Amino acid sequence: MAKEMFLAGCSSAAYGAMLSRVEVISSYPIRPYTGIMMELSKLVANGELDAEFVHGEGEHAQVSIAYGASAAGARAYTGSSGVGVTYAMECYSPAAGGRLPCQMAIADRALDPPGDFGSEHTDVMSARDQGWIMGWAADPQEVLDNTIMYFKIGEDARVLLPQFCCQDGYFVSHIPGKVSIPDQKAVDEYLPPFNNPHPLDPTKPVSHGPQIFPDQGPAIDLQRAQAFIDTPKVIEEAVADFNKQFGRNYDPFLEEYMTDDAEFVFFLQGGHARTARFAVNHLREKGVKAGMVRLRFMRPFPTEAVAESLSKFKAVGTIETSTSYGGAMKGGNLIHEVRSALYDVPNPPPVTSFMAGLGGEVVSLEEFYSMAKVLTQAAKDGKVDQYVYWVNFDKV
Amino acid sequence: MAKAVETQNLEMAKSARRVPQEEWYLPGHRTCQGCGPALTYKLVSKATGGDSIFLGPTGCMYVANTSYLCSPWAYPWMHTQITNAGAVASGIEAAYQVLIRKGKYKGKLPNIVCMAGDGGSIDIGLQAMSGMMYRGHDALFIMYDNESYANTGIQTSPATPYGANTTFTPPGKAIPEGKVLFPKDACQLVIGGHPAVHYVATASLAYPVDLINKVRKALNYKGPTFVHIHSPCPKGWLFDAKKTVEVAKLAIETGMWVNYEWENGEYTYQHTPKEYKPVAGYMKGQQRFAHLTDAHIAKMQAFIDAKLKAPGIPVALPVQGPRES
Amino acid sequence: MSKKYCEKFNIPKHLQVPLGAVLPANKKENKGMITGNWRTVRPVIDHEACTLCLNCFLFCPDATWHLDEKEEKMVWNADYCKGCLICENECPVDCISAVNELEFKGGVVRLEKPF
Repeated sequence: MAKEMFLAGCSSAAYGAMLSRVEVISSYPIRPYTGIMMELSKLVANGELDAEFVHGEGEHAQVSIAYGASAAGARAYTGSSGVGVTYAMECYSPAAGGRLPCQMAIADRALDPPGDFGSEHTDVMSARDQGWIMGWAADPQEVLDNTIMYFKIGEDARVLLPQFCCQDGYFVSHIPGKVSIPDQKAVDEYLPPFNNPHPLDPTKPVSHGPQIFPDQGPAIDLQRAQAFIDTPKVIEEAVADFNKQFGRNYDPFLEEYMTDDAEFVFFLQGGHARTARFAVNHLREKGVKAGMVRLRFMRPFPTEAVAESLSKFKAVGTIETSTSYGGAMKGGNLIHEVRSALYDVPNPPPVTSFMAGLGGEVVSLEEFYSMAKVLTQAAKDGKVDQYVYWVNFDKV
Repeated sequence: MAKAVETQNLEMAKSARRVPQEEWYLPGHRTCQGCGPALTYKLVSKATGGDSIFLGPTGCMYVANTSYLCSPWAYPWMHTQITNAGAVASGIEAAYQVLIRKGKYKGKLPNIVCMAGDGGSIDIGLQAMSGMMYRGHDALFIMYDNESYANTGIQTSPATPYGANTTFTPPGKAIPEGKVLFPKDACQLVIGGHPAVHYVATASLAYPVDLINKVRKALNYKGPTFVHIHSPCPKGWLFDAKKTVEVAKLAIETGMWVNYEWENGEYTYQHTPKEYKPVAGYMKGQQRFAHLTDAHIAKMQAFIDAKLKAPGIPVALPVQGPRES
Repeated sequence: MSKKYCEKFNIPKHLQVPLGAVLPANKKENKGMITGNWRTVRPVIDHEACTLCLNCFLFCPDATWHLDEKEEKMVWNADYCKGCLICENECPVDCISAVNELEFKGGVVRLEKPF
């Protein structure tokens, strides 16, 4: 029987990992994700989880240990935050290119400067092009569920890709919520043991990662790209099975909130969705037809689902929570993806972006109201005046 | 907590005849003519046999061995970044511990061997190597030492000797000796700071049976071990390809290289000559030292003399740092 | 690379890369990297003078010398010998000599076309 607990995102991730029966864990402390490893180390110390708990000497080592373990055929789990995520950058491509489906929990943290502990998605968004599956949870329950689902997706023979299982630092990682912890037996039925198709095993020797002819480079890149093209179908299946097995109600790619008659929507990832839902409720009370669409997977980016969903509205505002300095839209990353997805839609809605949720800042209700003002105008005019609004600073 | 799984019990090779004819590092690689590290690789592989997993951090022994989607290893091998051989090995060892414990892998723990160059061991790879040594993983870290970043065109590394001409330390009017620093002592780094380590050795490709036995001895120890192997590089050190073994022998005869074992705090020495020859004889045979003056060679001799007072054991060496005047 | 991709994208055989670039290991030799054509001189052994000290076997970086235990003589692998001549240098009885490769009929493994 599933039991209910009151857990923050970090503990919830740890329970998700335990239920997934991770076999090798590699740790290194950095706030805020540290809580995941503190919880897991207790579970291992108490004998509740039979795993090797390896204290990496840094994040670079953590990821190396994890993909090494995965290469040997074990289910491996690691995690990090902020500059720790970027310190390990070298190791992401070898793990993805070697098709080693280890999982890395991310509790986001702003990069330095500003030198604070707050959440901002730029850390792991910097690694979005390395060939890892990635997406954000919005609350502790989804953290636990995603942890289990990501192993199922990443280890699928059609996929074999490592995963960034992300949650916002503090907003999700440290704010407790009700979490239904599934029964181990039910998880075992859902998630079969990891079966590496090409392990480092002396009884069937292989060579992993040799040099290639330059001409073979595109072919090997195509292979990884193709895995991402095949992944959405696997995600759909894994989410459907999960919903059935555990009685949840996830849409594979998008959470839509009050969108049936919405004129405009906030488009975002992660924990700020919880404030966004309140903001939408309040705006509705004032007669403003606002809605919210939350992205559940950044990679693979669900192009068709996003195009289909967002083309229904008169205006879209992305809430960036990450930076892309000097990018095409002069602000964040999300708008690039959204505008690209909408490019071939007839009469696409105007899309602008909001720089908010940076450096750990809370995206307040007031800020949502000021964004709503911009989007109401855009819906009326059928165009946007700016690619990007720095919320609280740009005049609206 | 984790119960240690069974490890190897490899027999010592008593003579050349007892060295296996079977190859595990196979013919068919793009290493240079007379490559010292390739010879080292071959001998290490004969020592380990096939029940092994080798890790190849970036370096000559990755790039020149796997070119064009083919590989010369009969045992499982995996490329690692030049930075992380020790960490990847740790992950593999941890995985085998748990897989064996859970009955998912039926055999005994394979020999897990990192074949890292000097850069991948004590420069950019130092952190991961030290992490593996500290945590006590049952794996062997081999530093095949060709005294430079040879793969990228002979740049200086912390193992490059004083006075060597490398493409990052060219001798010139302002810096006549080329490389001004003395090398890091790899084995002392490992011995000095890693309580989980019980066996460290140096070896030379000029003494293959000794090399093979040291590798086997290292593997027979439970826990992390380190073997530092002198592997002359004809291209980088600029000598005739046929002289690789001769140069390695001369290093022993002049004290430029000392073969020793360190077992639980006890040193034993091998191949010590009755009388050391002057280092000039070693240096003059290699074009990388051709620009040095007698004064420079005397400085090297003083360094070696001090080191030989207690080889392997740290003593105060007469080394002037670059910021001292 | 899986068959499906190769067919879908019409990838020619020489560009097909296995999943994750993971190769099955070779057993005896790596035919993907023949190096016998590097050689300009060839080590030739005088079996009469050879004492089977095994130095050539021990010191060859390319593992081209082996002991034929039945015949009690050294055998040499022409496909991979790069002609470094460590064997000649380390032979204690000078029973290996360096012979110019051009002395041998079809001795050098030539490339089919120049680079």
